[in-house]
Amino acid sequence: MDLSPFESDNSVSCRLVSEIPDVCRTEDCCLGIDEAGRGPVLGPMVYGICFCPVSKKQELKDSKVADSKTLSEVERENLFQKIDESKSYIGWALQILSPNTISTSMLQRTKYNLNALSHDTAIDLVQYALDSGVQLKEVFVDTVGPADKYEVKLSKRFPGIDVTVRPKADSLFPIVSAASICAKVARDRVVKGWNFSEDMGDVETDYGSGYPSDPKTKAWLLKYLEPVFGYPQFVRFSWSTAQTLMDSKGVTVHWDDDEEDGEKGAQRQNNKSMLAYFSASAGGKDQKSTHQTHRFFSDRRLKSLDTL
Amino acid sequence: MSCNSSVTWVNVSSVGQAQRVQLHLLPCEIEHNGPAQVSQYLTATIKDCKLEKTVSFRGRGLKGQELICPQGYTGLVLKETNKPGSDQEDRTVKVASVFDKLIYWNLETPPNSDDTVVMAMDWPDLAEAIHGPVED
Repeated sequence: MDLSPFESDNSVSCRLVSEIPDVCRTEDCCLGIDEAGRGPVLGPMVYGICFCPVSKKQELKDSKVADSKTLSEVERENLFQKIDESKSYIGWALQILSPNTISTSMLQRTKYNLNALSHDTAIDLVQYALDSGVQLKEVFVDTVGPADKYEVKLSKRFPGIDVTVRPKADSLFPIVSAASICAKVARDRVVKGWNFSEDMGDVETDYGSGYPSDPKTKAWLLKYLEPVFGYPQFVRFSWSTAQTLMDSKGVTVHWDDDEEDGEKGAQRQNNKSMLAYFSASAGGKDQKSTHQTHRFFSDRRLKSLDTL
Repeated sequence: MSCNSSVTWVNVSSVGQAQRVQLHLLPCEIEHNGPAQVSQYLTATIKDCKLEKTVSFRGRGLKGQELICPQGYTGLVLKETNKPGSDQEDRTVKVASVFDKLIYWNLETPPNSDDTVVMAMDWPDLAEAIHGPVED
């Protein structure tokens, strides 16, 4: 697995692929989808697909690929080697969603939530397999959200393919376990060797699992909080753990699409809050200047300055 | 304010020694006035794409471009070194640094010629036309 395309720019989303086995272009295939690193506040989320001919299902089962979560890191690496050695009939593809992609998507003006992002990524990967000529007949998906709705969505999107969406699919279907192993191996390697594009000197890499509940992760987040910038792009800014720490220990930042309410928010946005009409100074007093600025200036936010 | 008789002076003689700096105009209000690790966190992560620059700040995607000061103008960053005790006293600000271009950033929107700060640069030309000496 060559991670260099992602490592050359880890701020964006990146696709890594194996070669497509010839047999997958001629025989009916099954495909599994799983993800790694959905929960952590650090590092990317990786989506993986693995596919092989339906006729090879038993062979895959015998190779004892199991749910990647029940495996140790070493076992996972070994199983990935096995998958890689079976490249004559197993293919894979990964989509690495960088933490920066996750942050900027989830915090977008028109919010793009993690579920939508996950579904779209999964759909893109299946489409990639189809575009590459893989004869897909069955697709198995692991899910976090409601399975039946997702199954309907995928079945509609890919007519003619038998789609099965199940929670814990990675422990039920070997092809999903294989996808899960590929995704988890990629995530582990990326997190371990994260190349900070910020100029932070020597960064401690003992960040634990990356889960917000992990004391090591917590300690790392506390240590590397920068008051103005918050965190390096390695951190998912959209996670409440990161937000809470920045709110309490960092500098406050206001955006024009912030949902601030109450008098303070209104004041900042130069609007009157309802409450202002009840205050002592209510009345015409505020309208000192009857002078209207020309639109030329207001459009450009130009004001004549009479005091600093 | 009309009731305030104090005058603010700009100490222009400090222009000569002032350093030329890289400036960023961000589409947000940061409740901080002082030094920040701009080169380490922001400059280091800017990506130059074909039509625009991209970066993120606090997890929000920004798109920006370079904006050059109108011809014949220099940008000044002013700093007040000695704050007066009352608003009746005159104030003096010195030139802390100078710039002839800046990078301005939009929140998610690609930079274009309708951006407020781009349009604001029309003013010097217009001001010259309105207020400049009339030639026959």
